[in-house]
Amino acid sequence: MRISSLQKWSIIIFASLLGFTLFILPVIASSIYSFQKPGGKGYSFTSYTWLLHQEGFFASMGTSLKLAVLAGILNISLMVPTMVYLNLKGQKFKSLVDFICILPLVIPVVSLAIGAQNAMPSFLQNSQYELVFFFVIIGLPFTYRTIDTSLQAISLKTLVEASRSLGASWIRTIIRVIVPAIRGGITGALFLTFALSIGEYTITSLLHWETFPTWTVVASQQNILGAIALSVFSFVGAIALLSIIALFSKKSARQVEVNE
Amino acid sequence: MGVVKAKSRARSSSQNSGVLPLLPFFIFTGFFLIWPVLAVTLKSFRGNNNEWTLDNFRPITQGGPYFHSFIVSIKLALITASIGSIIGAFFAFVIVTYVRGRFKNVLDSISAVFANSGGVPLAFMFIAAFGTNGLAIKFIRFLGYDIYAGNFTIFSFTGVVLVYTFFQAPLMILVFQPAISGMRKEWREASANLGASALTYWRRVGIPILLPPFIGAFFLLFAGGFSAYATARALTSGTVSIVPIVIGALVDGNTQASQSNLGASLAVGMIVVALVIMIGYVWAQKRAEKWRQS
Repeated sequence: MRISSLQKWSIIIFASLLGFTLFILPVIASSIYSFQKPGGKGYSFTSYTWLLHQEGFFASMGTSLKLAVLAGILNISLMVPTMVYLNLKGQKFKSLVDFICILPLVIPVVSLAIGAQNAMPSFLQNSQYELVFFFVIIGLPFTYRTIDTSLQAISLKTLVEASRSLGASWIRTIIRVIVPAIRGGITGALFLTFALSIGEYTITSLLHWETFPTWTVVASQQNILGAIALSVFSFVGAIALLSIIALFSKKSARQVEVNE
Repeated sequence: MGVVKAKSRARSSSQNSGVLPLLPFFIFTGFFLIWPVLAVTLKSFRGNNNEWTLDNFRPITQGGPYFHSFIVSIKLALITASIGSIIGAFFAFVIVTYVRGRFKNVLDSISAVFANSGGVPLAFMFIAAFGTNGLAIKFIRFLGYDIYAGNFTIFSFTGVVLVYTFFQAPLMILVFQPAISGMRKEWREASANLGASALTYWRRVGIPILLPPFIGAFFLLFAGGFSAYATARALTSGTVSIVPIVIGALVDGNTQASQSNLGASLAVGMIVVALVIMIGYVWAQKRAEKWRQS
């Protein structure tokens, strides 16, 4: 009945090879490509230095970073209290909130964008900060799950009762007791929202704002190698960042276990 | 322990779950999610002079390019969800069975990056790898195949399928893993004790249990592939006529009321398809839950 060692290793090797070909190879190929000299043979940083000389590069990157950070913070501030309440007392609303939070996965983002074009009051339409709210919406399905899972992993009720019976207010309980207990989930939710917001293209372009992704598309019409370099840079950067966080969050999860 | 229990019981009896603390959430999602969807739905039933009409839906239902764009979108979603879910399920199985600890965490977050990278960068990376002079193409040519000798190009429907698979499969890895790790060792042992072979175990126990979550995940992938916009837009500069691109083109012009109303009706058409998928997804989830409880 036990899978033999030979079988096991042939599955692992096959999976590694397949994974490498399908996922790693395109990344490597485009990385090498991004260092090619325009038009000629040989390799250089030309495409990357071209980027640095573009006016829109830093401007759009700044805009994207700013909006993504705001979206992350807004998302956490909205969802952590909501989820705590749902798990403590609001069970009967849980399926409704669950349903609303899955909607952004169901409703095509294009449709949401067209709706936003028509429904948002003009003072919001005139400000790029309107994007922050929609980035939060797009992040909901993921933050809901992440925060919910981490809340279910702790003994929420006991923690809250202990804190409340020692005289702490609700706000204090959330900030000083619950947030530290679920910091892994919160970091996860924060970075997911951040990553989604940084890469968001559909709503941004349909609402005619310029962020990093929309600028990349415009820039590609001038210099495709530059756009490729930019894409490699942001993709590899995202992988590196999230891998580091994965290693780090594993460590903090273990610390919590030890503390308990 | 007993005290805590008694206390929590006392609490729960006085639990008066008001809706007040949830108001920020409901107001926020109401304004930025529900209201835009309602607005686009209402608009899709409006004519050029703001009268109520069904005219905007006629171009979709009567065939022609708008009808065709739905066919292309559904075809794209079906193909990429099929390929992605099969490849992803295999990887999820291997990861759950053989990978442990930190490396699993790294694999998970890499899958998360790939799954959420269905955006602009992905398109340009694939142009670099699979474009006419792309390195992957050169490598394949080196092996003796020239796929560009046929009518393959990365800027086509096939190209979009290729790129979408790149984020569909990792998404499957993420959503299908819980189902596989939920399978208990005891089931396998029990069936072995009853004399079942590995094959019988999979046919009679494994696959029936995994099928509902697999179908559920498939619907999720389908929804993703159906509504994705950024990658296809950046890759083909709008030449593959899937619904989101058609909508984008209609609204970008932003000139005539009739065009923008038509855009709204296409957007509502997408929502309808997505809702049908959602119903399938919920059905599959329910089936999956049933197995888990019994």
